[in-house]
Amino acid sequence: MLSGGSDGVIVLYDLENSSRQSYYTCKAVCSIGRDHPDVHRYSVETVQWYPHDTGMFTSSSFDKTLKVWDTNTLQTADVFNFEETVYSHHMSPVSTKHCLVAVGTRGPKVQLCDLKSGSCSHILQGHRQEILAVSWSPRYDYILATASADSRVKLWDVRRASGCLITLDQHNGKKSQAVESANTAHNGKVNGLCFTSDGLHLLTVGTDNRMRLWNSSNGENTLVNYGKVCNNSKKGLKFTVSCGCSSEFVFVPYGSTIAVYTVYSGEQITMLKGHYKTVDCCVFQSNFQELYSGSRDCNILAWVPSLYEPVPDDDETTTKSQLNPAFEDAWSSSDEEG
Amino acid sequence: MQLFPRGLFEDALPPIVLRSQVYSLVPDRTVADRQLKELQEQGEIRIVQLGFDLDAHGIIFTEDYRTRVLKACDGRPYAGAVQKFLASVLPACGDLSFQQDQMTQTFGFRDSEITHLVNAGVLTVRDAGSWWLAVPGAGRFIKYFVKGRQAVLSMVRKAKYRELLLSELLGRRAPVVVRLGLTYHVHDLIGAQLVDCISTTSGTLLRLPET
Repeated sequence: MLSGGSDGVIVLYDLENSSRQSYYTCKAVCSIGRDHPDVHRYSVETVQWYPHDTGMFTSSSFDKTLKVWDTNTLQTADVFNFEETVYSHHMSPVSTKHCLVAVGTRGPKVQLCDLKSGSCSHILQGHRQEILAVSWSPRYDYILATASADSRVKLWDVRRASGCLITLDQHNGKKSQAVESANTAHNGKVNGLCFTSDGLHLLTVGTDNRMRLWNSSNGENTLVNYGKVCNNSKKGLKFTVSCGCSSEFVFVPYGSTIAVYTVYSGEQITMLKGHYKTVDCCVFQSNFQELYSGSRDCNILAWVPSLYEPVPDDDETTTKSQLNPAFEDAWSSSDEEG
Repeated sequence: MQLFPRGLFEDALPPIVLRSQVYSLVPDRTVADRQLKELQEQGEIRIVQLGFDLDAHGIIFTEDYRTRVLKACDGRPYAGAVQKFLASVLPACGDLSFQQDQMTQTFGFRDSEITHLVNAGVLTVRDAGSWWLAVPGAGRFIKYFVKGRQAVLSMVRKAKYRELLLSELLGRRAPVVVRLGLTYHVHDLIGAQLVDCISTTSGTLLRLPET
């Protein structure tokens, strides 16, 4: 797992639980620390593996750069410089036809950088304030969703020159050209975007403390109501959807806990308590069915699904060892400095 | 609807219910939203943006809205525009807001007529060239509502441990500021998640959230 910290350090962890215990710590495999010549100078905001193999990863940071790293040598292969701080970047997880990285910065233009040629290939105009989150659709190669502080979420087809496809409207009003300027997806800044794993729906979360589910093909608000989802983040909030469960869940950082909701019915399942300070990001690993969350208390916690009700602590610990440790409710903590 | 004190406004306002009150009455919010949307599409109710909070929507029966608006603008110079609006636009377009070209082209309103509508209080400005639907004379309601909401919240806040049993809250004398009734405000606070509702052995407990 790749993680970036607010001190500019990037650490890679090995997530395999080879010790047979229920409480384990993941070891850091390698890290790009403060002594590396190319380390980011300010906070690392987004990190992403190259979608097709782990030979490469990209990281973007408040120091106005997007760096492309070679994993084996831990050197930068390429650097893209921007005029404004970079809030978020994303590379398409399914695309085989293009190697574009979408970058959201403090300026209102979304930049698309091409990894093959090493330059910014084009710009998407349409937002009026900073872009807080970008996400490619996991279903179509060229569809991109962007979320901005001007309360709008736009869906783009990057091949089209004339502007965005749809601006999401929370009231589901009539669609017409002139209406586009007044449509808002939220009543505040839109902080986070997440497509469901099949790409048919899009979840957005905003500083108006609401989370909304949209149909990504026609931009309609499905009106699923999750209640109040507290969101005070001034920059992007990274949340995630489960993949491979029978009814998909969405895990959203909610203050210092993580709230779990079913995606399509809006019901709150539980709140995961474990962190001491605000949780900033969480990510789901579908192969292990585990959730990892990072927070401002410098901890990354791993959440494992527990198939059994937690047994009240007995005196003997031998009864616990009969349960397979992989199915136990487990948490681990690890520091940023590997 | 019965909770709304009609006498307070001398029948000038139609009874307004808030979306958060509906959430407090119906246990599943998504179902409530979808049913409200269906009613809106059938034309039974109108949803109106109340100015103080972008999220607070007021719900009014279309019939009540129509009768009150007509009564309010009787004899005034803008009556003609308002009647035309009620007759042509309301049944056709069930949205909360209206756009410039929609009004001029589809429904044939001139700019002067749109100004009449804004003067009458039927439309409120949202953005350049788009308007929210509004209730004329709703200003007083909104003032009482905001003051009453703050007053009921402060009743919970001043209690020991910042929590109150629902039955005890309703049994207290309403402060003078609360003109719309304690039950009206309690439903709204529960639905808007401004207080947490915890069920205990002595009944429902209202507690202010920690943050």
